[in-house]
Amino acid sequence: MFIRLVADSFSRRPRHKLLTGAALALGMAVATAALSVSLGVGDRLAREFRSLGANLLVTPQADSLPLEIGGVDYRPVNAGAYLPDADLSKLKTIFWHNNIIAFSPVLEVRVTSWTPQYSPASATFVKPAANGDSVLIGAWSNHPVTLPDGRDFLTGLDETNPWWRVDGSWFQDGAGECIVGKAFADRNAVIIGSPLYLATSSSDGLSLRVTGIFTGDGSDDNAVVTSLSIVQQYVGRPGQYRRLYVSALTKPEDDFARRDPATMKPDELERWSCSPYVSSIAYSIKQVLPGSDVRVIRRVAEGEGAILIRVRTLLWLVTFASLLAAALAVGASSAASVIERRTEIGLMKALGAGSGTVGFLLAAEQLLLALVGGAVGYSLGIWLARLVGQRIFGVAPEFSFLVLGVIIGLAAIVTMLGSAIPLRRASRFEPALILRGE
Amino acid sequence: MPDRKMFWRIIRRLISANRGRLFVILLALGAGAAITAALLNLQVDAKRRLTTEFRAFGPNVVIVPKDSSATVGTLPESSVRSVPVHPSAGEVRVSSALYLIANVSVPSSGQATSAVIAGLNPFAFITVSPKAPSTVVPDSPAPSQPLENVCVLGVRVAHQLNAQQHAELALSAGGRRESCRVASFSQTGGPEDDRIEIPLRAAQRLAGLPGRISAMEFRVPGTPAAIQTYITDLQPRIPEADVRPIRQFTEGEAKIYNRISGILSATVGLVLVLTALCVMAAMTNVAMERRNDVGLMKAIGGATRRVLRLFLAEAAILGLTGGILGAAVGILLSMWLGKAVFGVAARPRLIVYPVAVALTIIVAIAGAFPLRRLAGIRPAAVFRGEA
Repeated sequence: MFIRLVADSFSRRPRHKLLTGAALALGMAVATAALSVSLGVGDRLAREFRSLGANLLVTPQADSLPLEIGGVDYRPVNAGAYLPDADLSKLKTIFWHNNIIAFSPVLEVRVTSWTPQYSPASATFVKPAANGDSVLIGAWSNHPVTLPDGRDFLTGLDETNPWWRVDGSWFQDGAGECIVGKAFADRNAVIIGSPLYLATSSSDGLSLRVTGIFTGDGSDDNAVVTSLSIVQQYVGRPGQYRRLYVSALTKPEDDFARRDPATMKPDELERWSCSPYVSSIAYSIKQVLPGSDVRVIRRVAEGEGAILIRVRTLLWLVTFASLLAAALAVGASSAASVIERRTEIGLMKALGAGSGTVGFLLAAEQLLLALVGGAVGYSLGIWLARLVGQRIFGVAPEFSFLVLGVIIGLAAIVTMLGSAIPLRRASRFEPALILRGE
Repeated sequence: MPDRKMFWRIIRRLISANRGRLFVILLALGAGAAITAALLNLQVDAKRRLTTEFRAFGPNVVIVPKDSSATVGTLPESSVRSVPVHPSAGEVRVSSALYLIANVSVPSSGQATSAVIAGLNPFAFITVSPKAPSTVVPDSPAPSQPLENVCVLGVRVAHQLNAQQHAELALSAGGRRESCRVASFSQTGGPEDDRIEIPLRAAQRLAGLPGRISAMEFRVPGTPAAIQTYITDLQPRIPEADVRPIRQFTEGEAKIYNRISGILSATVGLVLVLTALCVMAAMTNVAMERRNDVGLMKAIGGATRRVLRLFLAEAAILGLTGGILGAAVGILLSMWLGKAVFGVAARPRLIVYPVAVALTIIVAIAGAFPLRRLAGIRPAAVFRGEA
């Protein structure tokens, strides 16, 4: 009898039920979209922030002080300490290896560049006076690092410095190619494809082919960038580097993250090292690279943290507003559908139904509607979220059961609440009055 | 005109007839207007505030002498006076610096090394505000005496020298000498860790370059486009220097800013649509309750059009009242929310207010539109109490 009553109510007024259901579905769709977008937005934005480049800097512990002004290190080449690049594959073995997006070792040397000139007298190319000082940077570009599990991880300066704009192409690893800074190229009239000759005060004659001209940070615009292995051989430091840039996905730091791990209790230390704070990633990198000093590039890391926290709060706020609006919309439409059925309620009560039975019947109807409307709304909302995610980040947000649960739950609660108030009022009515149409 | 008088009288009656109902409908309209106004205001403010937040990354534009390749060139200190004031860019902050390499020693322990010395303005960044007549940079009342020989030590230098706070440092370069007392340490993970920061004047004396600086750093707030405009405006004014955006931050910021503002606009748009639907649903309910009134009016000879006009006017008045009250609450709400998120109350935008009120009226009228269906009502059926 109960089921028959519910079924009858749906079949007798299909259009009306459809309208209420549509309102429910629409509200839930917006709530779903807002919820799934803001759930995924933290991770997506953290990844976007990696376009700011490296947030960790590794230097040898025993290094002498760099004397760097305007991107040029005025230290003699043999001063200071170096780190072995054979250790670098260990970076992808730390606990947070998935958070390490890119890294590139760097070895720099001051050089002078010269363009050979043809001398008709001796019918050979001769070395004229130098064109000027420059910095030769040895780094990786798209360099394969063989991981312990046998796979190759491609990384390099192109990923740790994503703001570099290269006209032409990056150099091939170890192929005698280089890219030059825009200022350097303008000053020396270097074009893509031309040969470049470099010399230091102690050694002579390194020739490279220019494959690209890059615009970087201003201070590096006067540099020549080539493979790490070429520079290592050139300065007689095979397998060594002086600086390592690491770009890692991190969680914004809070007060807990800034504490010194040495003073923590064991359980705190465990919690600290199990959160991807930039400082705990730095700590675990230091443990796999002996003799290194890992520093957090505060300028990048803290600015990133501050903005991420604000944007996340803001989006949660907007999401909360959308949930509230959805709840209001759904509540209002279910209230309306109960009010419309006052006559029916009066009749049922006149025939001897208790308030409980009537309430139960209507609640079952509303719940059924909430489930159907919520499910339709959910799939509509997921589609909407994909559209938004696709447009803004180029990637659709991930499917989450949490959202489905929250949405169905919200739909049920809100319809129940929305119908509860008019139901209570309806149950107080005298059946006779309602039936007379007053 | 009796006709018009009657019209308003009926409307007054319609509105004041049922207090409870009036309260509910005003609540729905007001809540809608409040959400609309709060989100619109917050969205505009948040985007502006974000561009300020980006300055947490530090300077985004530097000026260096042209062709600084071979030697470390310098600029006259007075270049800072030719910095343009750009009203659209808001507060631009400038700092000038002189870099040199000097020998540093701690007389008390005998530790010594050579390090980069950065001579900075005693108050780091000075604000170039847009209200000055042309390009005057009012700043640095002569640095007071105690500041003069104070320095900030980078952590790595401190480690190398094993220097403690308040230690005396002796600096020497090319036979010139200066001394300073360590005031604090800086740890940034950047080149500052390897430097000693001393007042600009002291650095100029040490380097023997009075009135010269080697770089100027700018913190330009604003959207990526505004920063770009500022840079193009800056270059011709200081011909002897090279203006370089720090592309690591200008590029990254532009990308992130676009993403964030996109996601914010999308969510706010969704919520606004939803709010409109919600208010419309409430209005429709109320309108449908009017069937008895419509039936009565038609029975005593009211033309359908006039009856409809009556109810639409009622809806518009309700929308106006709800909108005015709700939008005011919403703007206050957004100021409070701005304080919660950014720590600074959101600045109310006047344009938001009329927009929110107008949207509420439109939604209220649109919500009352199903009344059109009542035009087909047969008065007799209504009075018989038939559905």
